[in-house]
Amino acid sequence: MTRLYLFATLAGERVAIMAEEVEAVVSLSDISPVPGLGSHVAGLSALRSRVLTVLDIAMLLHGTSTAVEQRQLAIIAEIGGHSYALMVDGLSDICRASGGQQPLRGQLYPAWRLYARAMVEHEGRSWLLVSPSAFLGSGIADQAA
Amino acid sequence: MDELLQEFISETQETLEALAGEVVAWEADPSDRLRLDAIFRFFHTVKGSCGFLHLPRFERLSHAAEDVLSDIRSGTRQPDAAMVNAVLGIMDRIAELTQAIAVGAPLAQEDDDHLIAALVAQQAGPVQADAPAVTLQRGAGPQGAGQPVPRTIRLPLSLIDQLMNGVSDMVLARNELGRQLRDQASDPALGGAFERLSACVANMRDAISRTRMQRVDRLFAAIPRTVRDVSRELGKLIDLRLEGGDVEMDREMVEMVVDPLVHIVRNSIDHGIETPERRRALGKPETGRLRLEARQSGNQIVIEIRDDGAGIDTARLVEKAVSAGRLTPDAAARMSETEKIDLIFQPGLSTAQVVTAVSGRGVGMDVVRANIERIGGAIGLDNHPGRGLRITLRVPLTLTIIPGLVLRAGGLDFAIPRAAVIEILHDSNDMLRIGEVGGARIATIRNVRHSMVDLEDILGLAIPAQPEPRAVMVVRAASGLPFALGVSAVENHEELVIRPASPLVMASGIYAGMTLPDNGRPMLLLDTTGLARKACLPEIAENPVAGRNEPEVDADADTAEGLEMVAALRFEALSGERRLIRLSLIERVEELDIDLFGRSGDHVFVRLEGRVIPVINDCHGFGRDRISVLRLRDGAREAYYAVGVVLDIVQMPAVPDMIAMHGHLSGVCVVEGEHLEVMNAFALFASLPEEPLGHRHPGRCVLADAEDDWAREILAPLLRHAGHEVLIGLPDGETADPADIVLCTTSDAAQAADISGCRAVQLRAAAQPSGPQDASIYRYDQHGLLAAIAGAGR
Repeated sequence: MTRLYLFATLAGERVAIMAEEVEAVVSLSDISPVPGLGSHVAGLSALRSRVLTVLDIAMLLHGTSTAVEQRQLAIIAEIGGHSYALMVDGLSDICRASGGQQPLRGQLYPAWRLYARAMVEHEGRSWLLVSPSAFLGSGIADQAA
Repeated sequence: MDELLQEFISETQETLEALAGEVVAWEADPSDRLRLDAIFRFFHTVKGSCGFLHLPRFERLSHAAEDVLSDIRSGTRQPDAAMVNAVLGIMDRIAELTQAIAVGAPLAQEDDDHLIAALVAQQAGPVQADAPAVTLQRGAGPQGAGQPVPRTIRLPLSLIDQLMNGVSDMVLARNELGRQLRDQASDPALGGAFERLSACVANMRDAISRTRMQRVDRLFAAIPRTVRDVSRELGKLIDLRLEGGDVEMDREMVEMVVDPLVHIVRNSIDHGIETPERRRALGKPETGRLRLEARQSGNQIVIEIRDDGAGIDTARLVEKAVSAGRLTPDAAARMSETEKIDLIFQPGLSTAQVVTAVSGRGVGMDVVRANIERIGGAIGLDNHPGRGLRITLRVPLTLTIIPGLVLRAGGLDFAIPRAAVIEILHDSNDMLRIGEVGGARIATIRNVRHSMVDLEDILGLAIPAQPEPRAVMVVRAASGLPFALGVSAVENHEELVIRPASPLVMASGIYAGMTLPDNGRPMLLLDTTGLARKACLPEIAENPVAGRNEPEVDADADTAEGLEMVAALRFEALSGERRLIRLSLIERVEELDIDLFGRSGDHVFVRLEGRVIPVINDCHGFGRDRISVLRLRDGAREAYYAVGVVLDIVQMPAVPDMIAMHGHLSGVCVVEGEHLEVMNAFALFASLPEEPLGHRHPGRCVLADAEDDWAREILAPLLRHAGHEVLIGLPDGETADPADIVLCTTSDAAQAADISGCRAVQLRAAAQPSGPQDASIYRYDQHGLLAAIAGAGR
């Protein structure tokens, strides 16, 4: 089990995402806000002719929105035929994790319990394994399946 | 192996869809060998493929069906209704199993034995064919073998979407390049090359859009089966005709229209067409006629569903609405016939006397209308009580490109389908009054009250301060009433390429999709129905009636003072005089560019939205770029009256204080101490050109001599301009309509026309008649010719 993982900082936390769930990592241009939606939807952004729905995971988890000047990098994932962008704080690496997936240990923040599936060891530290589709809410993730 | 299986699934599903209609047609005419062969081939293919793919249940089912059909082919067995049922049953089961494999679901553990038994059991039964319940005729489209099938390949939809996206990228890149080229010093050679590239990209975009098109045949594929099953269940006889199957429409649109269409067809059979006994008693043929026709009209597809059943019983509808408490008897009495028919779109109202298995299950015409309107379409009813009903569905050619308006609210841009917008006013407009009661805001426009909301309030945005007046749009929600929507400004009108938004965005319920304009900033398309729901606007059926009644109430109140007063618009004419015109005549006030005005002979007209509307007075030569016009309506016709400045609304006596009929004026009134000329509505409309432009004469003209160049090149255009439909060459005996008027230039043709029973008008080349017996008309006598056609048509 040596799968490729993307290691990133998401909402201030170290996370790992399976590489096959990530289509690309891009730097976001301007985001058009979408009123009338949950505040974790930062808005829409165009990537060439594709329109991305931009998610602010920090808002979803901690209720604090990412400052505009920090809205730079995003992970693009295609879920259920639509493209989503997850804003990330930073990227570390894309590589294989020799240890594979490990069970969750310790006491996670309640907010993360909903989304973290496992832990992955990388460079001697633990990273939370998350899946982009989990952040869309159960109803939509079901449709995507 | 997986690919083979996928291929098998999609092929089987497609054939099944096409075959359902064939089986019904074959039942109607068991001697039709071609159809029988087609059905036999299907089962044979399935049997062959599934043996190879190891699908034993498929094999068993198709094998049983193949056996029976093979007996019929060899003549040892006659088809009957029960057997066709059994074959259809097997086809349904195969469809279920295919679907299950396609989505990877476990196969239903039902027993196939009884299906197979049903096939075989009949062998002992009576060997006579029942009278088929459904006869089927197709107007157009390839039939049987003989015809060459166009060569096609199967492509995954995702590849086409990818191509579409690629082309969209190209368009964006082209626009960007165009902007940069404009900024630089222009080099004609570079400009030319860019133009060529632009044209190629545009062509490419068109071609790719066409790959999404599909023949309407697919939309109709499910209909024969539905008609057969429903009519059998209800014991009715139906003659079904499908026409225009070769019209093409967007693949997704087909998916969206299928359900409403099937529902309408079910309704027609259940509520519309009577039982054979009842039809006989009414003097109608026992077999009811149901006709579906598709045609393209501009950028719309028109689908017509016509039956010769009982039509809609409006009295019963009204009675139901009243007893359901949706309508007061008072309001019902004031309703026009059209408004009564529209009640059918109210949720929960049905004319069904009894709830049958077929309809009356709560899914009504309201849902059908909502579905059609959601895709930007419209539904129209043409009711002939006792003689039938015609339902017209108009849907846009494609889901992806719709005409829309771009508006601004709370500092953001949004799009709204143009079809949903009834009118747009500035909130500084005199005709608009916004009142408030108990927190609710009500916009009164020409005495009709609308619920009023600001878009920013619905979306939870702040309303930015702005120097210019805000715009108020009256928009239509798919269910319920029009309402007034306040926005910062309406910016422009564009053809928008709409694409689906992500479920996360759609979950809000107020957006219908999104679009990516050339500036590269995504924009959302508003869903008016969702907005109304989000704002919790009431949906009251009675309001339009009550609203319309109000001017009468006002008038009554004024009569009490002794003099009948009516509301009038005070304006300054182009020539500077101050005048009054009855407010009830004015549909709206518009401001138009002088470029839109044109002149033909003595008449002035305006080109607007593809129509030509007459203008009563001449507005050229006043040196204005924009002209204020009153849009007048006498019930049937509309016309513009150009004015200088619109002033305000006042009450004027219904009869002018001094009668002085002159030109377009009927007299003088004194209002607030000022003498004002009163416009004469009768004279205004009487001065319009005789025929409303584009009005159609009933009746078709047949030009008997197809070879005659004069008839083809000179006469036919004249007749078409006069509004006649023109057919060149005599039709074959069967299609000749007694209402046709045959025009001939030789006496031989005149005799031929007499034989076919049509009225004939004979033309001659000489200016003078050849003798007193000569009833022919000189061919350049335009008035004589048109009068003769009108006379013959009566």
